[in-house]
Amino acid sequence: MVRSDIIRGHLDAIILRLIYEKDQYGYEISKEISLRTNDRFQIKEATLYAVFQRLERRELIESYFGDISHGGKRRYYKITKLGKAYFKETVEEWQEIKEIINIFMEGI
Amino acid sequence: MRTIKDHVKELFKDIPTSEHKELMMKDVIQNMEEKVSDLMFAGKFEEDAINKTIVEFGDIEDIKRELGTNTNNSPRRDRKNVSLQLGFSLWGSGLITALFVFINLYYSPDVIWFVYPVFAVLWWPLAMFYRWLGVK
Repeated sequence: MVRSDIIRGHLDAIILRLIYEKDQYGYEISKEISLRTNDRFQIKEATLYAVFQRLERRELIESYFGDISHGGKRRYYKITKLGKAYFKETVEEWQEIKEIINIFMEGI
Repeated sequence: MRTIKDHVKELFKDIPTSEHKELMMKDVIQNMEEKVSDLMFAGKFEEDAINKTIVEFGDIEDIKRELGTNTNNSPRRDRKNVSLQLGFSLWGSGLITALFVFINLYYSPDVIWFVYPVFAVLWWPLAMFYRWLGVK
């Protein structure tokens, strides 16, 4: 597994991206992250819920209760308009950052 | 799956009680239980599955930080509260001052003593004013 402190700064974006695609609940998101990265990156539940809390407070995502499973209602997360705009901005920013860092990381 | 619930309760016990905390705990318990049954479905024994889930939960500090700042109101509401308190202190001290001045001038116009209580009362809006400056 890769060092997670660099990824850490981009967790908000990663989770926003997954919720952007479709409304999801917590465990679904952590499974999806492991699946897409081929287990090269696994998010800890504690981190995940901290991010949910932060995103919800910043009104980038909302939550609602969905279908019943495992003895309770699942809490689903949904991206807001503000969240979508924020994510798009983050993507542009990432492109820029990537180019800048690449200048120094490539060619040796 | 008693142990997951107990474990989560134990983890969250230092976090101040709030609506957000209750919601999150429910959510966490449910998702962890689902993970346990997934792991068991994949062939693990229940105890192993529970242990793995608990270990992989990670560090509660992240959540503490988020929920901790959340229980202190948002900065905007804070500012509004402090402004209100400043307003109240100004009105309050103004009224008390007026009362002392009235009593002084009405009952003992020869001795100017009202400045003493007014001086004491002034600390109230002064303290509020500096709190207001601090939040602004």
